[in-house]
Amino acid sequence: MSAERKMVTACIIDDDDIFIYGFKKFMEIKGVFAEILNFSNGQEAIDYLKDPSYADKLPDVIFVDINMPVMDGWEFTHNFEELKSQMGKKVSLYAISSSVDVNDINRAKKNPVIEDYILKPISETYIADIINSYQPGLRNAN
Amino acid sequence: MSFFDSYDFTGESTAHLARLINNVNTGVWEYNTITKTAKWSKGFYAILGYQPGEIECSYQNFFENILYYQDKQPFLKATHYTGPAPAPVAQIRLLTKQQGYQWFESSVLKHDDDDGSFIYGVLNNINQYKIAEVKAAQADFRCGETGRIARLGGWDIDIASMTLNMSREVYNIFELYGDIKLSIEEAISFFEPAYRQTIAKAVDDAIKYCKPYDLEVQFKTAKNNIIWVRAKGIPVIDDFGRCVTVRGIFQDIDIIKRDGLSMQSSINLLDDKNKRLQNFAYIVSHNLRSHAGNLKFMVNLFEETKAEADKEEIFSHIKTISESLSATMGHLDEIVKIQSEIGKERKLVNFEAMFNNVMALLRTNIDAANVQITTDFDEVADINYIPAYLESIFQNLLTNAIKYKHPDRNPIINCYTRRDDNHIYLVFEDNGVGIDMKRYGDQLFGMYRTFHHNKDAKGIGLFITRNQVEALGGSIAVDSTVNVGTKFTVRLT
Repeated sequence: MSAERKMVTACIIDDDDIFIYGFKKFMEIKGVFAEILNFSNGQEAIDYLKDPSYADKLPDVIFVDINMPVMDGWEFTHNFEELKSQMGKKVSLYAISSSVDVNDINRAKKNPVIEDYILKPISETYIADIINSYQPGLRNAN
Repeated sequence: MSFFDSYDFTGESTAHLARLINNVNTGVWEYNTITKTAKWSKGFYAILGYQPGEIECSYQNFFENILYYQDKQPFLKATHYTGPAPAPVAQIRLLTKQQGYQWFESSVLKHDDDDGSFIYGVLNNINQYKIAEVKAAQADFRCGETGRIARLGGWDIDIASMTLNMSREVYNIFELYGDIKLSIEEAISFFEPAYRQTIAKAVDDAIKYCKPYDLEVQFKTAKNNIIWVRAKGIPVIDDFGRCVTVRGIFQDIDIIKRDGLSMQSSINLLDDKNKRLQNFAYIVSHNLRSHAGNLKFMVNLFEETKAEADKEEIFSHIKTISESLSATMGHLDEIVKIQSEIGKERKLVNFEAMFNNVMALLRTNIDAANVQITTDFDEVADINYIPAYLESIFQNLLTNAIKYKHPDRNPIINCYTRRDDNHIYLVFEDNGVGIDMKRYGDQLFGMYRTFHHNKDAKGIGLFITRNQVEALGGSIAVDSTVNVGTKFTVRLT
C-alpha cells in the first residue's frame, strides 16, 4: 500500500462567527490538511461527541472558547472529561479565549484535561503546528 | 480578784485601774458638770502629743481650741445623749501638737454620782483607720465613676447557691432601679431571643467545664431599649478544679458596636463596589480584546487572501467588528453614565406614567410579540428616584421579558409595586422561557453574559439594571423556573 496522508479532524467551539470564519480561512491559507468541525457553543459540541452515528468522525483536536452562551468552555471541559474514556480515540483539548483574567488562566493551567490555554488574538502558525502535530501520516506508512 | 471573775472594778482595784488609765495609749477624761472642772489622764495629753500639764486642762480649752469646729455638733450630740445605753460613739477631729488635726473616736459615759454629775469619756486615735476609710471611699467612688463612665459593671454567680449578684452599674445597664434581685434565668431573659441560647450555653459551660467566655450580644433593657452589650465571664475554681464562682463584667457597648457595624457595612459596600469595578475592568478588557483580536485577525487574512470574493467577505466582517466596537463603546458610556448620574436630583416619579412612557417607546416590539401587560401601582404610586434610572429599569425588564418569551405562548407580563416597613419594591413577572437558576443564577447580572441561543442577546441590559439599582442603594433579586417564567423583585429604596 502506498503511504496515504490521513486527514486530521479539528473542532472549533466558539460563539463568535467571525472568529470561526477567520480560523477556517487561515487553515486553508496555511495549507493545513484538516477537516474542521465548528459549533457555536459547548452543548452543540457535546451533542455531536455523544452521538454514536458520528463515532467514526470524532475530531483529533478541539479548540474551545471560554465565554459562550448555553454551555461555556468550563462546563464543556467538564462534560468532555466524562466522555473522554468512552471515545474510541484520543482527543486533545485546547482552550482559546481573549480573557486575561488570571483566574481563568490559572483554572485552565490547573486542569489536566486542557493541553494549553491560548490567548486571542491567536497565532495562526501555532494553531497550524498543533493541528499538523496530529497528522498521523508518517506513522501510518506501511 | 481576777478580771475574769467580774466585770466590775471595785475596792482596791480602783487604784490599779487609775494606774492603768494613766498608762494606756488612750485619752480618758472626766468632767464635773457642777463644778465645771475637768480631769485628763496622762494618755489624754499623750495622744495629743503633749506632756501632762503642757496645755490647760479645761473643758473650755478642749471645746474651743482642740476640737475641730465642725465636729462640735456630733461631739455634743454624743455627750448629751440621753437615750438607752450604750451612748453613741462620735468621730471627731482634734488638733494635735505636731500633726495637725487627727481623727479620734470619742465614747462617753454619764454617771450621776453623790458628789454631783460626772461625765466620763474615752478618746482613741483612729486616724489611720479613718484615712484608710476615706481612701477606700475615694477608690470606691472612683471605681463607681469609672464604671458609670465606661457603662461597665461587675457580677458574680455563686455556684453553691446558684445566686447572681450584680453591681449597681449592671442594674443601671439593665435599667432596673430599686432593690430587685434577679435569678440567673431572669437575667438571661433580658437578652434578645436570638442570643439567649448562646448566653445560656456560655454560662452553663463556664459552670460545668470552667470555660471562660466573652460575647457581644443584643440585650433588651427593662425599659425595652435594645442595646449591644459585652458579656464576659471567667470561672473561679477551687483546689479540686471545680468552678465555685463565675465572675464577670457586663458592659454597654451599643455606641461602639453600632459605629463598628456601620463601618463594616461601609467597608462591605466599598468592597462590593471594588469587586464590581475589577470585574468591569476584566469584562471590558475581554470584550475590547476580542474585537481588537478579531480585527487584527481579519486584517491579516485580508492581506493573505488572493481571491477577490474572499476579500469582499473579509471586509464585511471588518465592518461588523467596527460596529461591535462602537456598540461596546456605547455600553461603556452607559455604565459611566450610571456613576455620573448618581449625583442627579431625585424627583417624585409616578410609576404608572413612567411605565406608560416606556410602553409607548417599545410599542412596536410589544405589538409584534402580542404581549399582554397588566400593572398595579396602587400600593405605591410614586417614588423619589432618578427618573432616567426608573425609565431604564422598566425598559430593560420589559425588553428582557419580550426577548426571552416562551416560543409556545404569548408573553404575559405582570408589573406591580409593594411596600414593607422600610422599603419599596417593584415586582416584574413574566411567563417566558425562564432560566436555570442553579446553573446561571450567579451570572445573570454579569456583563456580556448570555445564556440562551438568542442572536439579540447582548448581555448588557440586566448588568446595567443591577448597576443602576445598586448605585441608589437598592438590590435586585430573581426567581425563575425553566419553561414557566421569571420574577424580578427590585428593591428600589
